[in-house]
Amino acid sequence: MNIRSQVSMVFHLDKCIGCHTCSVACKNVWTDRKGADYMWWNNVETKPGTGYPTQWEDQEQYHGGWEKDGDQPIHIKSTGKARVIPNIFHNPHMPSMDDYYEPWTYDYQNLFNAEEGSDQPIAKPISMITGKDIKVEAGPNWDDDLGGSQIYAANDPNLAGLSEQQRLQLSSVERLVLFYLPRICNHCLNPCCVASCPSGALYKRGEDGIVLIDQKKCRAWRSCVSACPYKKTYFNWFTGKSEKCILCFPRLETGQAPACFHSCVGRIRYLGVLLYDADRLEEVANLPDEELVNGHRSLILDPHDPEVIRKAQSAGIPDGVIESAQQSPVYKFVMDWKIALPPHIEYRTLPMLFYVPPMSPVIANFEDGLATHKMQGLFHGIDESRIPMQYFANLFGGGHEGVVRYAMGKQLAVRWHRRAETVGDVDRATADRFLREANCTVEEAEAIYKLTSLCTFEDRFVIPPMYREQAIEMVKEPHEQRAEAGFGFVGGPQRGG
Amino acid sequence: MLFTSNTLENQLLLPSTPPCILARPRPFEMEVGDGILAGTAGGCFLRRALFAVFCLCVPPLFLSTLAHAQDTPDYFRQNCVNCHTIGGGRLTGPDLKDVSKRQDREWLIKFLLDPRAVIESGDAYAKKIFEESRNIPMPTPPGINLERAENLLDLIEAESQLEESQFKGLKISTAPFTDADRTRGRDIFLGPQRLEAGGTACVSCHAMHDLSALGGGQLGPDLTNVYERLKGRAALSAWLVAPGTETMQPIFKNRPLSTDEIHALVAYFESTTAEQPADSSTGRVAFLLSGLAGAVIGVFFLDALWKRRFHGVRRSLVEANSSRGKS
Repeated sequence: MNIRSQVSMVFHLDKCIGCHTCSVACKNVWTDRKGADYMWWNNVETKPGTGYPTQWEDQEQYHGGWEKDGDQPIHIKSTGKARVIPNIFHNPHMPSMDDYYEPWTYDYQNLFNAEEGSDQPIAKPISMITGKDIKVEAGPNWDDDLGGSQIYAANDPNLAGLSEQQRLQLSSVERLVLFYLPRICNHCLNPCCVASCPSGALYKRGEDGIVLIDQKKCRAWRSCVSACPYKKTYFNWFTGKSEKCILCFPRLETGQAPACFHSCVGRIRYLGVLLYDADRLEEVANLPDEELVNGHRSLILDPHDPEVIRKAQSAGIPDGVIESAQQSPVYKFVMDWKIALPPHIEYRTLPMLFYVPPMSPVIANFEDGLATHKMQGLFHGIDESRIPMQYFANLFGGGHEGVVRYAMGKQLAVRWHRRAETVGDVDRATADRFLREANCTVEEAEAIYKLTSLCTFEDRFVIPPMYREQAIEMVKEPHEQRAEAGFGFVGGPQRGG
Repeated sequence: MLFTSNTLENQLLLPSTPPCILARPRPFEMEVGDGILAGTAGGCFLRRALFAVFCLCVPPLFLSTLAHAQDTPDYFRQNCVNCHTIGGGRLTGPDLKDVSKRQDREWLIKFLLDPRAVIESGDAYAKKIFEESRNIPMPTPPGINLERAENLLDLIEAESQLEESQFKGLKISTAPFTDADRTRGRDIFLGPQRLEAGGTACVSCHAMHDLSALGGGQLGPDLTNVYERLKGRAALSAWLVAPGTETMQPIFKNRPLSTDEIHALVAYFESTTAEQPADSSTGRVAFLLSGLAGAVIGVFFLDALWKRRFHGVRRSLVEANSSRGKS
């Protein structure tokens, strides 16, 4: 057993209101620079929709992630020893600028300086790449709130396996449905971007598992861009280096939550450390599709188990981190309650960002030509949800409904339970029946309710102590740097350097 | 002896030098805090590298001095017998038997070290043997140096004393040439018949009078009239036994032609000797044109192959949708 610690995340989609505050916070802190202007390390996309970049989930087009053929061990889908040479001048399967979007601003000066004319002056959109006029055709969330878009929503790769009727229903009047999917780098356990880099510029930080790109080693191969199935590494065309979400490690190191977590209005984000067994990574990444979600969970170790604690200590994990893992809200969502699920586990990168799937409004019925939302009982069953289970299974279950049904059923049971507790128009027996069916005790339902609805900053973000003074010793001798700190010895990233 | 050892040492040391330079810590690239660590690691590496170089260099130095005494006959066999015999009559060049009686040693060494220079200097004797050799200048023997030249002259002198020198001449088949020989020779020249020892087919570097548009290689001379140029069977065969030019020697040194192959090739060269050599200029134009045509075809082929390589994802979704709206 090779125990390591990983800073992990849960996004509670049932609480996301799609306000993009996280995206803007991230943009302001990290990517408001030339060459990074089109990047959204954190983006929020509308589902059903094609996302950012367009159809990033369609690996037939982008060839991201790991691929498993029969009994062969997994391999990187986008590249390999034989594929490097014929593609040496340009990596194919890359999103184009148009698939992200061409960033633009507006010519505000025209509002003040325009010649006198018969019309009001306007602020024309201007490309931030070329500086010329631009016809705005798409943005990073162009399908935002347009769940019925025949171009974007209808081409969502997660609609695979849905019947024609289900597809129509998703966008029909009075039944239209959408939800939001905020995305950052998943800081995967088996990161394809790291594996694909010919320069060895990407690495997973030993002490907390944050995946980073060394700006001095990056040589603009862009293998990571095509290899990452979540399209969360981006190429900076100005510096000639790739960049990605750094999970605000400078903030984490000082005990603050990352900018997007900190600013989240809906308080959907949870962060905590998990202990996992690195020896079993290869075995789990090679499991058949239907066993992946549970296999992934089996990697995560119980931080209360004395055996795990002892081995973690001998593996050099500080006591502070182990204590933090015991408090981790992520462990509760993923392991105790099993209601948070990894996105697209079938890419086999073993993402460490988990999503609690959202409950959706009930399907409308038509009675005498009028739409009603009447139903049996107070809450509709999960099969009557406007978003079919198959859709969530494609997104969070590797195509298999079982784990998604379990997570949704438990959330539903918590609602019944709380309704019985607070409003009282549901009798206790009904609530208990739902809890029983969802494999949930009253105490567990209370705990889920508390961490979902009444969570404080400290509940949501259990940031492990980073012990930078110890971690740095792995690569540098701190004593040597004593009295040598100063300005100007670290240059900015630039081409060729 | 000392001279050779030095050159050898230099040759051996040269490829090993860059790692030593790399291993030396470069002060300008060091980062703050890397100082002592990098320095000590670099120092260790430097020492180890130097030791490894030392270990690699020393044994070959001894071996080379031992081996050197033995290799003069081999050197003669590889570089001289294609034009010279010792007591076997002249081939392209003169018979070397008793050559040291015809000229003094100093002159011979000067000639061996740089034959062309001596010929061009207007030396009367050099001019005479140059003309006797049908104006084919002796190429500078590969890797010749003072010591080797001395060794060679010693060898020639010793062999001249013998009744029957080992370099008296090669046993060349005197069987008459048949049509089958000529056909086989042409196949060997063009390549369909592979050389037994794996050497390169002649056409790679040589042209011939009747080859198709692209002609033969342009690196070596046209071989249409080579039989006449080298004055017949014996000299041509001797040349083919151990081709002596700097280009041919490395190829055929370890992959010599067999007696049968030489017989067939000489039969073929004999049959073409009356023809006019190919006009190389048409071959060059054809080569250029076919290169251009190939490039154009290649560009179109790659364009077809990679047409869909860099297609935008979003753009095609929008286009598919708008075309659906129109129909």
